[in-house]
Amino acid sequence: MTRVLINGIDSHLGAQVAQRLSVFPEVSIIGVGRKTPPAPVGRADWLLAHLSGLQMVELLRAEAIDVVVQLAFVENGASREEAVQQNVLGSMELLGACAKADVQRVVLRSHTALYGASPLNPTYITEHRPLAKINSPGWLRDVSEVEHFSAEFAARHPQLSLVSVRCAPLIGDTSPLVTYLRQPNPSMLAGFDPCFQLLHLEDAAAGFALAALSHAPGPFNLASSDTICLSQAIKLAGGRPNMVLEPVVSLAFAMGNRAILGRWPFELSFLRHSCIVDTCRAHGDLGWNPEHSAVDALMALQADEPDLARRELAAEALRAFLERRSEGVHDE
Amino acid sequence: MSDDVRQNQRPEEQPGEIEEEIPVMSAPPPPAPRKAAAMDKRNAPSPPLKPSVFLEEEEEIVVTTPPPSLQRARTPAPPPFWSDRQNDHAPDDDVPISGASASSLYENELELRNLAEQTNTNVDAMGKLAAGTLKLIADNMRQMTDQQIERVNEMLRGVDLKDYLDPAFWEGIGIILRYQVDEQVAFIKRRMSGQYVTDAYGMDREIIDLVRPSLMFLYRTWWRVSVEGLEHVPAEGRALLVGNHSGVLPWDGAMIATAVAEEHPAQNQRLVRSMHLHWFSTLPFVSPALAALGQVPGLPENAIRLLEQDELVSVFPEGLKGVGKLFKDRYKLARFGRGGFVQAAIRAQAPIVPVAVVGAEEIYPMFANAENIAKLLGMPYFPLTPFFPWLGPLGFIPLPTRWSITFCEPLRTDMYDPAEADDPLTVLGLSELVRTTIQETIDRRLEERSSIF
Repeated sequence: MTRVLINGIDSHLGAQVAQRLSVFPEVSIIGVGRKTPPAPVGRADWLLAHLSGLQMVELLRAEAIDVVVQLAFVENGASREEAVQQNVLGSMELLGACAKADVQRVVLRSHTALYGASPLNPTYITEHRPLAKINSPGWLRDVSEVEHFSAEFAARHPQLSLVSVRCAPLIGDTSPLVTYLRQPNPSMLAGFDPCFQLLHLEDAAAGFALAALSHAPGPFNLASSDTICLSQAIKLAGGRPNMVLEPVVSLAFAMGNRAILGRWPFELSFLRHSCIVDTCRAHGDLGWNPEHSAVDALMALQADEPDLARRELAAEALRAFLERRSEGVHDE
Repeated sequence: MSDDVRQNQRPEEQPGEIEEEIPVMSAPPPPAPRKAAAMDKRNAPSPPLKPSVFLEEEEEIVVTTPPPSLQRARTPAPPPFWSDRQNDHAPDDDVPISGASASSLYENELELRNLAEQTNTNVDAMGKLAAGTLKLIADNMRQMTDQQIERVNEMLRGVDLKDYLDPAFWEGIGIILRYQVDEQVAFIKRRMSGQYVTDAYGMDREIIDLVRPSLMFLYRTWWRVSVEGLEHVPAEGRALLVGNHSGVLPWDGAMIATAVAEEHPAQNQRLVRSMHLHWFSTLPFVSPALAALGQVPGLPENAIRLLEQDELVSVFPEGLKGVGKLFKDRYKLARFGRGGFVQAAIRAQAPIVPVAVVGAEEIYPMFANAENIAKLLGMPYFPLTPFFPWLGPLGFIPLPTRWSITFCEPLRTDMYDPAEADDPLTVLGLSELVRTTIQETIDRRLEERSSIF
């Protein structure tokens, strides 16, 4: 019997991981989140609370948890301070709790963008490649901080197996890259067309589930097997690229105007150079195989995602409204 | 829709079109017999390949050039040679060609060559250039629609082919080229919707097909490349082509790739992935263009990976020292880096094929390197040639020297253990061996060469 705790079951990814894990009968799943999961979570039992470190230790010990999957991560929407609080400090606290409660394995969510985009990077980056330094503040720097902290932490706690799963930009949820691609005219640097990979939410969930149950150590790259050029991605998502000259961007940056690139979620260098990872380890050691190609994921984004999102929002609002109404009726 | 297209290209319907075109367009010196022949043919259903009759009487250059193109013009548009494309949209909008009109241009090309052969040598070169240009246009025309071809034929009507020395002839060709640009708009529109496939390095087969006719023009007509030893390049499986680098701009890589794609005995249009200096990846516009053409940043990891995927990879170990060579140092090979290419070959157990390119050193005779300007512009070198930068963009036109490319016998690396890739003695020894092989071949070819043009 493997007992898995998913921190952050209130995200689409968390819910999907829970559902994937429910397939295995010898796995019991507990989810922790701050609000109701947005999607079905299979057999998982969930707790809605904002636990402190010590409370987390208590929960982990009481349930004799073997594996923790950390997916509580704010990418956009929250204020910077709040995001750092949850992303960096939350992860540090959780790692500390896991070490104290004798958890065997912790799976952390990371990002392929941590390798950086540079002409000196090989076209296919393997997990051995040292991570680049992320300078600009933002959610990516949080990921980078967590990754560096966890590497040090793992060195000091050899009994704890720490696995970071480095995901390519997610498609299928509201991720920063999706926000960028949803703009009618996403900005690009004129004269550059970097290639990159995407990762469908379902494939990411499958990867996390496999990483939680396997015993293979070390980081894993997860990404679609095909690659796509940025200009093509924008066109497939239904937009038209807006070409900006590099000197103009540099000038705007020097003058403190970072809005010139619109909602581009990464550093400027990612608009110039490709960042593509090798996923052989995930194939070999985890037996992970992506079902969605980057092109499919993007076509889906163009076709029905806005509709779907609207329908989901409407359903949620309706549910909340009816609940409130029925409560009001009972009160009377 | 695609059925209609295919019907248009059926061989029975083509002769009719050809015969309508020929008498008006080419206006050959004795028009009567030609017309009569055409009339006869109209009744005969099977078209005799008229140009091939001329062909067999021609000299080597002519014989080597047209057959593949003629075949291509007559058979329906060749299927894309990559079969793993997801949505094959080609038949619908862009490629439907009436090969007939294009092939009438091919016939004009042959006729020009014949005329050029018969006249004295000074005019001869000009005629061949004209013929090559016509072929370039015809190759491109295979990508055009019927209306476009009709318009081009309008342009050519009444132009006497003997007048290729007349500026008006070249003006006409210029106008035709402008129509070709119009024609690309449909292609661009489809690409605007994102319907294409690239690989992780950014290579785009459609772009490669698009520039192939122009590269062929450079290869056959501009530089008249003669090639030797292509049988040393494996028809399949991995190999590392190692060449001498020269000529300020890396045209030599493009010509090696063209030689392998077009002239290899196996005729399987194998792609050569050239490694370029990673500095080029930082240049706007240059970087995506190189990537689309299948070039790859020159990093050992990339080379090993491509070789392990059984690709043909070409490297120029001289690097910048080779391309930025001064004219006075021509054909003296620079140092071969630190033998990184040998390491990659040993790791991937790929044979090394030394390649000697002669002729590329003279295309931009660089008599000085303005280092200060180069530093200012962030470039590795700033060439001063008799034409650049004095003539502006015209300085980019390379001189039409005559080239030869020699593929030497492959050096095996499979007797080494992959671990020996870390042994400096083995690596540097093999690197020096490759260097001397290339230098000796170059010296031999230089002796054989009578003139640089």
